[in-house]
Amino acid sequence: MPDSALPPLKVALVEDDIAFQNSFAAALAPARDMVLAGTAHNVAQARRLLDGPALDVLVVDLGLPDGSGIDVIRAARAAWPACGIMVSTTFADEKHVIASIEAGAAGYLLKDSSAEKIADEIRALHAGGSPISPRIARQILLRFRPPEPAPEAAPPLANPLSPREHEALELITKGFSYDEIAELMLVSRNTVMTFVRRIYQKLEVTSKAEAIFEARNHGLL
Amino acid sequence: MGSSRARTFLLYAGAVLLALIAIYAGTRPAGIHLTRAAVLVQDSQGYAAPPRQIDSRRLAGSWREVALPHAPRPNVVPGAGDAGLLPTRTTWYRFALDPADPAPPHAYLYVPRWKTDGTFAIYADGRLIYQSHANLQWNGSNRPLWIPLEDAAETRPPRELLIRIRHVRGMGGALSSLWLGDYRQLAPAYYARAFFQAELPYISSAMFLATGIFAFLVWLRRRRETLYLLFAAMTAVTFLRLMHTYMGLDRLPVSDAWFGWFTVNPVAWMVLIIHLFLVRLHHHDRRAVTVALAGVSLVFAIVTLPMFAGTFDATVISPLMYVTMAVMGLVTFGLDLQWSRKAGSGEGVMLAACSLLAVVLGGYDILLQSNFVNIEGLFLTMYAQIAMIVAFWLIMLGRYTQAVSQVEQANVVLARSLAAREAELNASHQKLRAIERREVLFEERQRLMQDMHDGLGSSLVSALRVVEHGRIDEAGIAQILKGCIDDLKLTIDSMEPVETDLLLLLGTLRFRLEPRLEATGIALRWEVRDVPPLAWLDQRHSLHVLRILQEAFTNVIKHAGATEIRVTTEVQDGVVRVGIHDDGRGFDVAAAAPGRGLGNQARRAEAIGGRVALESTSRGTAFLLLLPIQGTAPSRRRALGEIP
Repeated sequence: MPDSALPPLKVALVEDDIAFQNSFAAALAPARDMVLAGTAHNVAQARRLLDGPALDVLVVDLGLPDGSGIDVIRAARAAWPACGIMVSTTFADEKHVIASIEAGAAGYLLKDSSAEKIADEIRALHAGGSPISPRIARQILLRFRPPEPAPEAAPPLANPLSPREHEALELITKGFSYDEIAELMLVSRNTVMTFVRRIYQKLEVTSKAEAIFEARNHGLL
Repeated sequence: MGSSRARTFLLYAGAVLLALIAIYAGTRPAGIHLTRAAVLVQDSQGYAAPPRQIDSRRLAGSWREVALPHAPRPNVVPGAGDAGLLPTRTTWYRFALDPADPAPPHAYLYVPRWKTDGTFAIYADGRLIYQSHANLQWNGSNRPLWIPLEDAAETRPPRELLIRIRHVRGMGGALSSLWLGDYRQLAPAYYARAFFQAELPYISSAMFLATGIFAFLVWLRRRRETLYLLFAAMTAVTFLRLMHTYMGLDRLPVSDAWFGWFTVNPVAWMVLIIHLFLVRLHHHDRRAVTVALAGVSLVFAIVTLPMFAGTFDATVISPLMYVTMAVMGLVTFGLDLQWSRKAGSGEGVMLAACSLLAVVLGGYDILLQSNFVNIEGLFLTMYAQIAMIVAFWLIMLGRYTQAVSQVEQANVVLARSLAAREAELNASHQKLRAIERREVLFEERQRLMQDMHDGLGSSLVSALRVVEHGRIDEAGIAQILKGCIDDLKLTIDSMEPVETDLLLLLGTLRFRLEPRLEATGIALRWEVRDVPPLAWLDQRHSLHVLRILQEAFTNVIKHAGATEIRVTTEVQDGVVRVGIHDDGRGFDVAAAAPGRGLGNQARRAEAIGGRVALESTSRGTAFLLLLPIQGTAPSRRRALGEIP
């Protein structure tokens, strides 16, 4: 899979836990197609990192000593628009992952993943998007569900899911893998990955639209 | 409060007094004032009609000069008549008019007061120009006369006026001084007198009656408030009583006897009603007074009832009646005034005072009626009665405003108590919710503790034992720790709601277990079919499902030596069947089940209302978890409590 013709992916890690920093560095070391180009231990350092030249992948831990990783994700989204952002998490619990995606993350990395798995996930993210867990798929579906009694307070849905994206998400909630989904939907695995990437984007865009809508509602805009 | 109200009252009283003085001063009559007359008295029988023409010089008898007003004292006992006719008396008044001071053109004759229990006729220069067309007794004599003189082309001012009054012998005849003048000179005086003597009582008693009808309608709906009924009765009786101040100038539709009955008797009824009304104001019910008043009223009403022979004419015995009622009224109202003052009822004092005033003025009216005082004065009782009307109005108004403000106060109190009640409810609701929250928290804690104990805790303890005995390599330890982390992830997953979605739960399990399966090289075939929502599948239950299936997977990985695991779901007879099929070597279910943790799985399944089954052959093993679609799951506590 690593293509030596291309320049290696430049990866940065924002993480306060030294142990994970070490295992992360160890996971990247043998991979020829990626290089750990930067490390930050807290939000302040991360901001300084973001002032520098853009990198390809940024892995962010949420619980930083001087603030939330969500802010780092948001800042990175603005500073490095082309950078793929991953949130590193122990449990991939819905609350943190959804908040990260809404802030602009395109996937997540389980901290207990094996070294090979870590490298694979970084590649997958760069190639398209991380896998979505059934629960997070379910959460996204709920987020995009058309409001049934059409309450006035509901924000306008700028990017409703396409029927195919919806179908893919439904299958994810039932536990099917991307390969199985590709088979069931009679498409290629790549197409499924495309659906997933778009879903990530729509979630981010929608959350921004919601934020603007909320701000209008509260007279901030 | 008292002084400011008293000041207001004095202010109004002063204004009224000023207005009355102004009216009096502005309506003094002018013109020819006839204050002396020649009088000729003839005894007669019955009421012969007056002749059309008469020559006063031919009348039999001797004339004598009198000053007007002329009002002979009545005899108490009428004299006996001849031939069944009522003995009457004809009194002639003759006025010689001064040719040097003739009546003006378009002249009126104004008679402020006249009295006769009989007929009244006026001649000008010997020709009849006016005669009464009325009942004999009740002939409207409280109305002043306003007689236009003949106004023809040939008319000359009259030289002589002659008045013929035929009345019951010994009773009733009287004449005030006369005025002769044009409209401008006399009309103000006439209209003012007519208004105050007849029309004012008429208007006020009619208005009073109208409010009485209203009060009566109120009483019909609120029978317990007898004050309204008494008020209504008072208005009716007052209306009857005041009739004789303005009625009778034309013939009445009823006989004199009946008219007398229902205008004289009301005096007694009024005293009774006012007393009953006052009793309700001062709440001092002296039975004897009420009974005496009611008795007297009843006796008078019966003995004067004109329906039977042998009863008395109310008109004739009215002086007796009036005197009786004056005495009783004085006593009663005096007592009522006292009692009202003691009870602190200002209304009672006001009404009792008005009533006392009416009695006193009634005494004056008796004197006026009996020609003991100047007959040109006004009957005054009716003004006290009008004052009484106002007093009644004020009392009812007070009741009304009091009731309204009571309703307002009641509303305020009601709103307040409602708000208090609401706050109470809110508080108890909050308390309940707090308790509920605590309970939920407690259960959640119980559940997690149980889970830590069964899962993570025991895994760590056994790992510790193994490590302590040095019988494990690093890979083994890593394996155990991975298992612990998986346990922890499932615990965390179980904290998020799955909202009745079993497949979501299975998907979650797959997501967590997939890395381990991949590591073991066992292929996973995901062959789930849609299942109906399980309404009972909450967080507590979903953890049980996760643990049951996790253990099934672990068993396959550890023991089966399988190359493939198939996960299936199907629905049969209201039961969802979750299957974990492996292609491993199989085992003897009966012999091996307890050791392989089936007992634990079975207990968990039972706790959520389901059960587990194992089928094993040499070609593989099928583990089945059967879950009811309908929530026949046992209670939460049991689900929590029975796991060791």
